[in-house]
Amino acid sequence: MQKKVSIFVPCFVDQLLPQVAIDTVKVLRRIGYSVDFPADQTCCGQPAYNTGYWDDARPCAKRFVRVFKNAEVIVCPSGSCTTMVRKFYSQLLAGNSYGEEAAAIAHRTFEFSEFLVKIAGITDLGVSFPHTVTYHASCHGLRELGIRDEPLQLLRKVNGLKLVDMARLDECCGFGGTFATKFADISVAMGTSKAESITESGAEFVTSIDPSCLLHIQGILGRKESAAKTIHLASILAREGS
Amino acid sequence: MNAESVIFEPARNSLEQFQQECVANLTECIVTRDAQESALQLSFVLKSLPAGEIFAQDHPGLRSLIHAKTDRPIRWSSEGTPAESSQVTITLAEALIAQTGSVLVTARCGGRGGSIVAPCHIVYATINQLVPDLQTALTYLSRERKLEVNSFACVISGSSRTADIEKIMVQGAHGPRRLVVILQTKT
Amino acid sequence: MSTTPAQQFLRDAAIKSADMVHREIIRRGMESYETVHLKGRARIKDWEAARQQCQEIKREAINHLDHYLLQFEEKVIARGGHVFWAADSHEACTYVRDLALRLGVRTVVKSKSMVTEEIQLGPVLEKAGIKVWETDFGEFIVQLRNEPPYHILTPCMHLTRDQIAQLFREKLAVQIESDDPGYLMTVARRKLRQAFFTAEMGISGANFLVADAGVVAISTNEGNGRLCTTLPQSHVIITGIEKVIPRLEDLAVLWPVLATSGTGQGITTYSTLIGGPRQPGEIDGPEEFHVVLVDNGRSRLLADSEQREVLHCIRCGACLNVCPVFRHIGGHTYGTIYSGPIGSVLTSHLAGVKEFKHLSYASSLCGACTSVCPVKIDLHHHLLQNRRNAVAAGSQAVSERLGFKLWRYTMLRPQVYSIAGWMMRALMRMINGLGLTATILDPMRKWNRDRAPVPLPQKSFRALWRKGLGGN
Repeated sequence: MQKKVSIFVPCFVDQLLPQVAIDTVKVLRRIGYSVDFPADQTCCGQPAYNTGYWDDARPCAKRFVRVFKNAEVIVCPSGSCTTMVRKFYSQLLAGNSYGEEAAAIAHRTFEFSEFLVKIAGITDLGVSFPHTVTYHASCHGLRELGIRDEPLQLLRKVNGLKLVDMARLDECCGFGGTFATKFADISVAMGTSKAESITESGAEFVTSIDPSCLLHIQGILGRKESAAKTIHLASILAREGS
Repeated sequence: MNAESVIFEPARNSLEQFQQECVANLTECIVTRDAQESALQLSFVLKSLPAGEIFAQDHPGLRSLIHAKTDRPIRWSSEGTPAESSQVTITLAEALIAQTGSVLVTARCGGRGGSIVAPCHIVYATINQLVPDLQTALTYLSRERKLEVNSFACVISGSSRTADIEKIMVQGAHGPRRLVVILQTKT
Repeated sequence: MSTTPAQQFLRDAAIKSADMVHREIIRRGMESYETVHLKGRARIKDWEAARQQCQEIKREAINHLDHYLLQFEEKVIARGGHVFWAADSHEACTYVRDLALRLGVRTVVKSKSMVTEEIQLGPVLEKAGIKVWETDFGEFIVQLRNEPPYHILTPCMHLTRDQIAQLFREKLAVQIESDDPGYLMTVARRKLRQAFFTAEMGISGANFLVADAGVVAISTNEGNGRLCTTLPQSHVIITGIEKVIPRLEDLAVLWPVLATSGTGQGITTYSTLIGGPRQPGEIDGPEEFHVVLVDNGRSRLLADSEQREVLHCIRCGACLNVCPVFRHIGGHTYGTIYSGPIGSVLTSHLAGVKEFKHLSYASSLCGACTSVCPVKIDLHHHLLQNRRNAVAAGSQAVSERLGFKLWRYTMLRPQVYSIAGWMMRALMRMINGLGLTATILDPMRKWNRDRAPVPLPQKSFRALWRKGLGGN
């Protein structure tokens, strides 16, 4: 029987960065998984939750749990959205009928890189990406989910990829959800510092497991007319082999 | 609640660790074999200081140590507190702490001022006063009820300093610029 | 029309975020902290176990605060000290001022205490004709500049040696020959030494109140805390009630952890324990000893079982040092006594400062603060809880509340969501196409003002999936 996963596509990936999801599906299929996309999904509720509107986030969370009720394994190409489901759903849905299901769904939801390395047990996808790449350690993935090595393990096995260090790789890029617009000056200043670190590293590409970070970093790099580009980890791993 | 041994690497050699920590925190640690050598080392330190009064804890051990080793005026703790212009204070200690290269003093060690008022503070201690860590020193204070008869105690770890300007460390802020420990191995 | 703290914050943040000179100074400061901090942590064999133990000590203290405070009080009184329980800033300041006047105090020497800033003691004493000298070197400098401390531990980290030399020239009326830090410190030492030897009262804070021994732990590197508590005839300690710890031996782990987190040292140079006034047989020390226990909103926080652990804070400053928001806006922009992550979490809970909710929002929730906190306070999650509480209290703008109601409506209906997404992309493509990006007509102007526009694909992922990505 073929291994099955369901893909959880963050709303902003669905709308603004569909290639990230396409590439995620491509990689999963290539390693032998059939991928289901429950088309009824919309948003995990994080924007409302992060801004303090828990009463508005709650119905979205319940809906998510219903939509993915029958999914055995859920894979998501976003550290922050995975965090929402894994770390915050049980508190958000505590004390109501969804409490148990929320706890259960947390156990079957994985961020893309941790799924590949820890669940599928794969680090070498046999792909080629002959460029200099630096890694941005997105906050949610790093500090909430403890994802530190998995993306690097995957990057190191990509043929021709030269991995270079960035100073302060684990310093926040400044996106922070609604923070990016509520406190735009601070957000942009933080993004600019991150862009400087990227430029200093000499990398052609900056990658991460969080498309929201990459969206923000690209916004900053675009304004600075920097040569560096953003690329999601899934998009690197979806490249053809050598 | 003694998980502390898990938290801090236990010292293999207390004397060695004490000396290393003193180097790190800028305490001058002079190890001597006996009282005669201690007195000699003391006289060297005193010679290196600008002219001025000594304030000393009134204790037989210090009386004999300092005796005839200097022609500076000496003000003993039995006579009062250190003068503002004192150049050096000389006191005993309650204990020395290897873990942090520290000197533990109480009010009995020349009063509160005896370890802070002058630009140089000299501590005369013996090896049996050296304890491995803060835990031991604090337990000692509790067990001996030192804080019931002393309103003051202090763990001193180096010379007075500040890094308030551009995070650059400079010595000799408000307390002594020099902390000297004469550590005698023969009790 | 006066500016609200939130408006002032946005204004100051905008200025400071763009100030590259300021950013460079702070960056250097924070990098030097990172270096010494890591070195300091390497000295501790098991840092996580140390944090765990510190958390447990503070938890025990806070969960039995009344018991330990009473134990502490009893011992202090037995030694001839006085303990005053101040409900708020006003009570605390009145007590200290009245005491100072009764004792005929004309000059006060003060060692570092954030609580004295919190209760605004300085102006109260100055108004009563009492001269107050800040003796912590950094505090002395900001006092001369008539500005609040920039950072909990390093009050003048925003100033260069050059600026300090100039300040001394102007305010101290002495010849300043150099901007060498050692030289400048000597100038300050000479000036403050006069104050130490003539002041009638020393005021200090407390790092810890040790219940079983009934002593106050005061740590300084400079020795100013020592002189403040040795030379003057009276000593007053102003402290929050949450500083209590159960046992003297708890300091065996708290002292090193405090020093490591604060400055990367193994232990602060002068780790002092004071239990009361001069005792019989002692040759020096103050005759009067008063401990002012300040509540000022802390007991309300104590009653909140979800956020009570915020009272565990030992004021080490580590969270400020790693915070990217702090790094870009600096300590003064917060407009509060306690800045950085702990300030953002704590300030709304302290008495009389309800209007600082915006600080809980001025964070990307990166969690760096939580990862360094030596007593394991879940700082960034407390910011989230503060946000939830702000919304529940109805303090957010109507437009935002309606916005999220609309958002919720949309997200519960996949077809509405799809259409809304498509419409938004189409609208933004049109706005960009018409050259109206970042103008008043651009709904995404807050993003587009300083960032390149976000990608606006023709088709969403779900549309592409429908069209044929579905086959496995």
